Amino acid sequence: MSVISGQSPGQGPGELGEGFDAGFESEGQLPPGVGPWKLAWRRLRRNRVAMFFGFVFLLIVVVCLLAPVYSTDIAHIGPNYGNPTGTFTLNGKTQFVLSQIGIPIGPTWDIHHYFLGADDQGRDVAVRLLYGGRTSLMIGAVATLITMIIGTLLGVFAGYFRGWWDAILRSANDVVWTYPAVLLGITIGTVLNIHGIGPLHGTNALVPAVVIGFVYVPYVFRPVRGQVLTLRERDFVDAARQQGLSHWRIMTSEILPNLSSTIVVFVPLIMANSILLEAGLTYLGAGVQPPNASWGTMISDGINNDIPTAFHNVLIPGLMLVIAVMSINIFGDGLRDALDPRSKIRVAR
Amino acid sequence: MLRFVVRRMLVMVALLIVISMFTFAMFVLLLPNGNPAALLAGRLATPAEIHLISVRYGFDKPIYIQYIDTMKNIFTGQAYSYQSSFNVLDEIRAGMPATLSLAIGAGLIWLLVSILFGTIAAVRAGKYADRVLTVLSMIGVSMPPFFFGAILIYYVAYKANIIPIGGYVPFSQSVGGWFGHLVAPWITLSILFIGFYSRVLRSSILDSINEDYVRTARAKGLSERQVLIRHSLRNSLIPIISLWGLDFAQVIGGGAILTETVYNLHGVGELARDSIGRLDTITLMEIVILTGIAVVVIGAIVDVLVAYLDPRIRLA
Amino acid sequence: MLLGTAPQSLDPGLDYTTQGSEFNWVVYTGLTTYSHASGAAGGQLIPGLCSALPTISNGGKTYSCTLRKGLVFSNGKPVKASDFAYTVERAIKIPWGGSGSFITPIIAGASQYAAGKAKSISGITTNDATGKITINLTAPYGPFDNVLAFPSLGLIPSGFPMKVEATSPPSGDGPYMITNIVPNQSFTAVRNPHWAAQNIPGIPAGHVTVNVKISSNLQANALAVLNNSADIFDWADTIPGSLLGQIQSQAASRFKMVNLGGSTYYIFLNVTEKPFSSQLAREAVVTGLNQDAMSRLGSGTLEPACYFLPPAVPGHPTAPCPYGTPGLGNLAKAKQLVKQSGMEGQPVTVWSETRSPRQQWMTYYTQFLNQIGFKATQKVIADATYFTTIGQAKSVHPQTGFADWNQDFPNPVDFYGPLLDGNSILPTNNENFGQTNDPYINAQVKKLGSTPTTQLSSVVSQWQALDEYVARKAYVAVFGYQKFPFFASNRLNYGALVFQPIYGWDITSFALK
Repeated sequence: MSVISGQSPGQGPGELGEGFDAGFESEGQLPPGVGPWKLAWRRLRRNRVAMFFGFVFLLIVVVCLLAPVYSTDIAHIGPNYGNPTGTFTLNGKTQFVLSQIGIPIGPTWDIHHYFLGADDQGRDVAVRLLYGGRTSLMIGAVATLITMIIGTLLGVFAGYFRGWWDAILRSANDVVWTYPAVLLGITIGTVLNIHGIGPLHGTNALVPAVVIGFVYVPYVFRPVRGQVLTLRERDFVDAARQQGLSHWRIMTSEILPNLSSTIVVFVPLIMANSILLEAGLTYLGAGVQPPNASWGTMISDGINNDIPTAFHNVLIPGLMLVIAVMSINIFGDGLRDALDPRSKIRVAR
Repeated sequence: MLRFVVRRMLVMVALLIVISMFTFAMFVLLLPNGNPAALLAGRLATPAEIHLISVRYGFDKPIYIQYIDTMKNIFTGQAYSYQSSFNVLDEIRAGMPATLSLAIGAGLIWLLVSILFGTIAAVRAGKYADRVLTVLSMIGVSMPPFFFGAILIYYVAYKANIIPIGGYVPFSQSVGGWFGHLVAPWITLSILFIGFYSRVLRSSILDSINEDYVRTARAKGLSERQVLIRHSLRNSLIPIISLWGLDFAQVIGGGAILTETVYNLHGVGELARDSIGRLDTITLMEIVILTGIAVVVIGAIVDVLVAYLDPRIRLA
Repeated sequence: MLLGTAPQSLDPGLDYTTQGSEFNWVVYTGLTTYSHASGAAGGQLIPGLCSALPTISNGGKTYSCTLRKGLVFSNGKPVKASDFAYTVERAIKIPWGGSGSFITPIIAGASQYAAGKAKSISGITTNDATGKITINLTAPYGPFDNVLAFPSLGLIPSGFPMKVEATSPPSGDGPYMITNIVPNQSFTAVRNPHWAAQNIPGIPAGHVTVNVKISSNLQANALAVLNNSADIFDWADTIPGSLLGQIQSQAASRFKMVNLGGSTYYIFLNVTEKPFSSQLAREAVVTGLNQDAMSRLGSGTLEPACYFLPPAVPGHPTAPCPYGTPGLGNLAKAKQLVKQSGMEGQPVTVWSETRSPRQQWMTYYTQFLNQIGFKATQKVIADATYFTTIGQAKSVHPQTGFADWNQDFPNPVDFYGPLLDGNSILPTNNENFGQTNDPYINAQVKKLGSTPTTQLSSVVSQWQALDEYVARKAYVAVFGYQKFPFFASNRLNYGALVFQPIYGWDITSFALK
């Protein structure tokens, strides 16, 4: 399956996709005097639901960024601090963090002590949730950055020059595409974990970020390339060519600006999927490596160690992940509608 | 049409070769010394034994020869797992019933339900039903399958005792057991796709309503229902079926690793995961090639189906 | 019966895993074998296919015995003495995972055979007419009687292919035989129809057919046994801590955690690298380690201890632990020792397996190292590649991390030989992870290791002294012995079940009520 091949853009790797890839034509018919971005912003602002979820996401980001504050000033415990034999006082009663046979305490709802309970190693779930959010969001952001940059560059390059370069880049992307995303992710993730390239090895959280960024490149490459193929035939590109502008100039100053709305639409989509893929890879042991916290490590620790005695360890990080990803998705949906009211761009292609 | 299919096949064969090379390269080039012999020899192995294993599997040969030998073994059915010495074909065959059951059941569910949801959402665009379906599909695309699986296992299997806790029972052994063990995996795997497909179908139908051929049909005096089913929906199904082809093929090739793992189905996906963990390159390669073949074959079938559905292709 | 981890293979020529041996030892009986009994009695060698334990002559270099009369394989063919030579040759050729330690360097002529320089193993002579088998060793090797009991040296018919037959393993002579092997999914152990008539004393014929399903979800496995939809939980799997309480309360009469006394959990400390090149730094680890905490993390699988040799292995010391009774640990003292050692602030990488609770232990240990003044980080490696990764002594040179050893046989040389003897340090597949190379240990292992297993009692005190020495030097930080779950459904007669100290479940003892 793959969370992600779920959102998989589409047609099988082959010729068939052509027709669908080319359908990006959103300029034109704008009310005079209002820039396209301004117009989009107006539309987006009117979409209450999208704005609400955008705000929710922002809130999650801010709270997660404040993790060290919560950790040091309120809970007084680090994210990786296991406390298997520890005790603490709750409402005047002494409580064990782990019972004698290792069952962790559930949510205490006491903001200072194990607010959301402990995990199977006696670590504070609330603290880990925030730190885990930082990791998951960081991986989502870095992976998205990698995907967008590589996907756009290759897409522009292939679409603009066509010919052999295009053929090679397209087959390379098809290879990545035919692989189920999760399978490719764990393959590269495992190999990097064991051996590594430079700083990319072992417990470095950049490993999954790079792996995920790589896996999603074709999902951006294909539509960008398709759009460039039509753009390069446009009058203004012809004009630029006749003026003797270099290829580089044409690509950066004529083509790229026309791609910006596509790129903006893809950012939340890729980000949402990257965060999901992080969790998936981690569950399979090829993502974020313990003891580092991420939403993925927390859910998989919970699934592996806490069913059925401490299900809160699955539920809490899982719900957090779903809410965060859903917020991005809904906001992204609104963004797409705002940029292209006719919804010509169909979700991730 | 035939030429189109043949050309597509050739492209895909070339693609398969590149995919197999890519997989091979990832393991051979990135592993320490590119030599899994030390791993296979086990904890108490001596250098002499490691050498023996190296020679046996040809790990001492140049990489391109190793690759050619590996491919030869795969296509002659003589590929043996490094770890357990099982014939890889036997391993895949053992995992296939579970994976096929998962893929076919879930594939049908997610295709039919998305068509239903997508159509309702398009017809009722902006109305209450559309909103509810939109929310559901947003939750669907945001739900990691292993999290949803864990929820079902805990609440429905463990607490309520309605479904079994994971595992797979062959159809031949017990039809009821087979169904009972697969219901939750089917739902889990489908949810993802339903969320995404129904959104795609919805916007696709909404787009097509403005297309010329739909307007013509409407002008001819066909009822809204007939227009919807015969023209608009039919045309809008094209991207859905293309999507479905790739996703379904990947699930058959073991792509539903997360769902298979959380429900412990022992399918091809779990085999792939385990062989990666054991660095059993040859098993993984055979699975990846299997995925590729599934993508090619199902892709071809989908092409034919699309040609049938698409009036533009048929007219041409 | 549910198995969480598949055996590497059910072909004895390849397999060197506890899961494989659990079945193969009742399928492929060796010239010697072990008593089918729980506890210390189960560690006793008894004659297997030979009519008596081998006679040892020539200063411990020659072992000989005679096959019983009328032996037949499960396929009905008679067992010949020359089948033994063939079995050994096949184990070398495949090669079996233990052959490099227990056959090739031990049996005379085996290394020439392995290298392809000889057509047969010169050290083995057999006589099919009399059934006499004589084995010459390169040097006296005390536990050779135990080696003969390995399922991988259990006799198979001559002429069986010299390659692994994973789905159709060779016939053996034992109470059971394996059929219906579905790769990675299941297999069946059925009773060997030819066994009972052979009347071999001490080896029961078994009662039931055992259907084995491989299923890596231990939670589901444990629940299935708890609600009696499966009968046996494999002893080598871990019952998830989250289910332990429920099982203890609902199924106390059919569940037991047993310390078989043959497995040690320890933390290796690399003596060739800072900081554990300093004895004080090593002492700090041993002094401060909180085994109670680790025991809690291990949800009942850990019995805290300090000595390398576990209780069922002769030579297990009886003296009190040199750095305090295993328990809460002395953190303050440990901090002080680190200061004294001058290694404060040294970076340490802690290597760890993925599986629970081993990973949790190492997470705890990493935190502990940070508490006592090191700068520790954890590195987690997939289970399947963990030991070969840290075994790359030259390229990886691991500093410290998780290690365990499960006895091949109850003889201390099985622990000391590969794990602590300086002569066993290898560039790859090293097992002496701490690179311990202490002349005293090396000399004692050489001297004591040649004592035959049957005469071990004469050197037990010297082994004890050696083990106490290792504990004093803190070469390894032993944190406990493994307890295994023996958990069965209420359909079985739990009281009659045998927990064999070497092979775990004795499937010949499985019987319905």
